[in-house]
Amino acid sequence: MASFRNQQAVNRRKTWLLLGSMFSLIAFVVYAIALYFGEVGFSIVPIAVIIALVSVWGSYWASDKIVLSMTGAKVITENDHPQLYNLVHEIVIASGLPMPKIAIVNDAAPNAFATGRDPEHAVIAFTTGLLEKMDREQVQGVVAHELAHVANRDTLVSAVAATTAGALALMSDLLIRMMWFGGARRSNNSGGNPLVLIAALLALILAPIAASLLKSAISRKREALADATAVAYTRNPAGLRRALETLAADSTVVNQRSTAVAHVWIESPLDAKAAARLFATHPPIEERIALLRQMENGQL
Amino acid sequence: MDITTVLIIVAVLAFVGWLIAQYNKLVRMNVAVDEAFAQIEVQLQRRADLIPNLVETVKGYAAHEKEALESVVNARARATAAQGVHDVAEADGMLTQALRGLLAVSEAYPDLKASANFSQLQEELAATENKVSFARQFYNDSVRVLNQAIVTIPGNFFKGIAKVVAREFYEVEDPTNRQAPKVNF
Repeated sequence: MASFRNQQAVNRRKTWLLLGSMFSLIAFVVYAIALYFGEVGFSIVPIAVIIALVSVWGSYWASDKIVLSMTGAKVITENDHPQLYNLVHEIVIASGLPMPKIAIVNDAAPNAFATGRDPEHAVIAFTTGLLEKMDREQVQGVVAHELAHVANRDTLVSAVAATTAGALALMSDLLIRMMWFGGARRSNNSGGNPLVLIAALLALILAPIAASLLKSAISRKREALADATAVAYTRNPAGLRRALETLAADSTVVNQRSTAVAHVWIESPLDAKAAARLFATHPPIEERIALLRQMENGQL
Repeated sequence: MDITTVLIIVAVLAFVGWLIAQYNKLVRMNVAVDEAFAQIEVQLQRRADLIPNLVETVKGYAAHEKEALESVVNARARATAAQGVHDVAEADGMLTQALRGLLAVSEAYPDLKASANFSQLQEELAATENKVSFARQFYNDSVRVLNQAIVTIPGNFFKGIAKVVAREFYEVEDPTNRQAPKVNF
């Protein structure tokens, strides 16, 4: 009984911890900037934050429309696919969420995603390959996973993470340029010490990498959370587990391998070996299957 | 006005705001339980609406399965008349049982199973059966949250003013119904 609730609590806590680390990282970098570059460098901070906010939150606000057009998903009505509509309606009842828009992507690779800024603007999409290869129980598991993303507000969580990582990347980029053009020497304190200069440069190079690692870690926690929440809806870990097994066994990969929308799919369309595990947006599929199997057997 | 007065006013306002929030939270939970129960009734109604069509279809191929057909018709009549959580749950359990019996006997009629009408009905029934189960589950979750809130601090201080009492769980008699909804007719 407590198994999926446990998993939900653990992953929620870890998300907060990771978001907290990201904000601490930003605070540390801002502090370092203030210390090393003085006022000139400090003026970069609001600029970077505003640019990151504008660029990320624009796409967050219109995420439903943007992702739909980037993936070529077609919104369907009840009559186009009564069974899929029924399956979504079932989980809508189980979760108490409003009915989302349902879309189908014409692609032979089995996959699915959810997007939209809030539950009222949610879109969940499935590839034709997924609908062909999976039985009712499996699709139900996938629907529950996607609606779990909607309920957990994962578009919002990833927008916050992307803003933080983006602001850090911008800050370090702008400041490295400033150092290049001798901006640092104009600041009043410790400008001449080469060791401090190297330390500052290192921090500026490493901070954005650390931020993007944290961003990927958050994404992985949200995937694990969505699996647990999906079980909370269906109370049937076997459906999602068998769906993930089908995904793992299937070698076809979604046609568009754009990294920009890679994180939205249920199974990452990017090659697991090409993208290092630390930067992966999803936990390894075998791990997810093993966790669901433990939930089935009541071992968790 | 000195700083202490301002602080006291802020503290009082914050406290009043917190009181209102707690009261509203309980009332909202209570309404959520009502809504969840209404959802069960909507899904039960939908299932009841499917039954005449199902009975007619099965009669066309297996008219002499009188017993199974009659128990479905009777259970449906009882279910549509039921009122209140306990009675609705009981009638729901009987109808679920009767439907299962009818679908089990129809397994023996290949012509019936092959008819397009029947397979369409089967998908509708499977979906409705799942929706009923999920509506029950959502209702029971809402009841669990409410019942827990009014026996723990601070909910137990507010239940009197908010006129909220512990609600009844929706329990279906048939033990197989308590398992995860997994309907593959």
